[in-house]
Amino acid sequence: MPSEFGLFVSTDVSKCSGCKACEMACFQSHNVKRNNVGKTVGTISVPVTPKLYVTVIETASMPVQCKHCENSPCKAVCKQNAIRKVGAQVVVDENKCIGCKDCLVACPFGAITLLPFYACGKQVTQADSGDGKVAASKCDLCFEDPAGPACIRVCPNEALHLTDVNEERKQKNIAAAEALAVINAGSPERRLL
Amino acid sequence: MTTVIAIDQNLCTGCQECTKICPNLAIEGMPHQPQKVNENKCVMCGQCVQKCKSYVSIAEHGAAAYAKVHKERGLPASVKEPLFAAYNVCHLDEVKKALADPDKITMVQCAPAVRVALAEDFGAEFGTLAAGKMAAALKKIGFNYVYDTNFAADVTIMEEGSELVDRLTNGGVLPMFTSCCPAWVKYLELNYPDLRKHLSSCKSPQQMEGVLFKTYGAKLLNIPAEKIFSVSVMPCTCKQYESGRPEMKDSGQRDVDVVITTRELAWLIKEMGIDFMSLPEEKFDSPMGDYSGAAEIFGVTGGVMEAALRTGYELVTGKPIPAVDITAVRGRDGFRQANVQVGDITLKVGVVTGLKNVKPVMEALKAGQLDLHFIEVMTCPEGCVTGGGQPKLILDTDAEEAYTRRTSCTYSYDKELPIRKSHENPSVQKLYKDYLEKPLGEKSHELLHTTYCGDPKHHH
Repeated sequence: MPSEFGLFVSTDVSKCSGCKACEMACFQSHNVKRNNVGKTVGTISVPVTPKLYVTVIETASMPVQCKHCENSPCKAVCKQNAIRKVGAQVVVDENKCIGCKDCLVACPFGAITLLPFYACGKQVTQADSGDGKVAASKCDLCFEDPAGPACIRVCPNEALHLTDVNEERKQKNIAAAEALAVINAGSPERRLL
Repeated sequence: MTTVIAIDQNLCTGCQECTKICPNLAIEGMPHQPQKVNENKCVMCGQCVQKCKSYVSIAEHGAAAYAKVHKERGLPASVKEPLFAAYNVCHLDEVKKALADPDKITMVQCAPAVRVALAEDFGAEFGTLAAGKMAAALKKIGFNYVYDTNFAADVTIMEEGSELVDRLTNGGVLPMFTSCCPAWVKYLELNYPDLRKHLSSCKSPQQMEGVLFKTYGAKLLNIPAEKIFSVSVMPCTCKQYESGRPEMKDSGQRDVDVVITTRELAWLIKEMGIDFMSLPEEKFDSPMGDYSGAAEIFGVTGGVMEAALRTGYELVTGKPIPAVDITAVRGRDGFRQANVQVGDITLKVGVVTGLKNVKPVMEALKAGQLDLHFIEVMTCPEGCVTGGGQPKLILDTDAEEAYTRRTSCTYSYDKELPIRKSHENPSVQKLYKDYLEKPLGEKSHELLHTTYCGDPKHHH
């Protein structure tokens, strides 16, 4: 039974080495068709534009990526309707994005940035100025890929996993109930005896 | 020593994924801090270059950073691919300079593994054979003579096979180890210098081809050796180091002037505006571009052993080997052993692939517990097809498929070739007849054999 909440990818920080294999996989999976990216680095002719951002702090590293918020502030502030929901996932339509940065301001995790937008190996130009276009770039949970998020599959340390908070909560409820079943028999007055 | 492999301190995230795979523990640093290559330990195999995913990022380093790193590394304008923290020093400028110099006669050689992987950087499937297209591209680029390392691989077999037979019959040092992998040679020199007499005295095919360019080739074409600029295209980052070793000047000057990797050749082809995938196939130039299937399989683990056995069998027994495919030495395990019946001799052979797997073998040898005659060692995971200079995989999860396809492409190409044994290569036979006289002869000793750890070369 699929969750009613948006799924997201989370990281076991004790396993993540900060290698950025997830960023490369993310970029590759979104650019096979769009920019003719193959399986070797030599087939890449456009800037690497991932949708998740490995962040290294002094003691740890992890990719920061979209939580697919239920009350998505990014979606709420986007005046172009460039951010929409596909099922429970929050997804950017790069063609509609005008690069106003409102979503960057709104996102409390910094999970969105603006990156050059390329198609067919060339940077898309803005209709009015002819300048290179940028677009909001954030995790879309590989919603077009039946195999699911590319980052999870490629992580050499198996640090990434798809989190279904609804399901996790139910499991926690069951575990709690099982633990409490042993000690919670009887009224509080009886347990105190 | 000139730097071959480096890690950009501004780009490295300190993930230490490279540290985990470095076969000689040469990468040093704290977790989450930039790592450094200890050049006194590095064997220059380039597996860290293949592994590294920490790239110059617009989001993290800014839009101008890419151009800056691109310039620092001296890359051609055709390079638009991501640039990573771990990299090998690019030598394309030297090649382009020589190509543009009217006083230079350029000769190029390509290792067997290059042709089964090069096309991948032009979008082809893993393990697409591109021997003919590669020869055509090299001619279009403007090399005067497009020769092939495979020719020298056949010569290597003549020399190394004869050396093995000589050691077996005259009480020489056994087991004998192959010496065509320069990272393995470097590793042995660093860690087991006392065991250096176990290495075959044969130079690698690259260095044999290089010295033949400037001796046999110069004579054949009636050109002064000083005018020849010798370039090699290798799946290997360590070959540049090998070419610069002081021993590698037996032609009277540097035998191989510069080495570029498979990836660098792809960059050069793009730089020249060549549409690689639609090139009609061409042939390598004769005679130093003629080769057998035995030479081609040098690119895969177990291949040098198999090629040596195909010829060694005939050297010992005087009869052709009953089955040309010697599957007992094929495979992908880190250390494989087989007994091969060669006439009255039961030849005990071993194959090591992945340099980390050689340590227990060396320790067993030191302890006197290794009962083998001949051992092939390759540094990279499954031989040269998986070399540090090969097209770099975007996803490491593709490694198994890529390695398997490059390997099977190599074996099927061997099967297709009309001549599959080194000693049956007519151009090699002619080389001995006209120039070298015989394997292990005086001329061979002078040009094709070497010493290690700075030992002096004995002269007859």
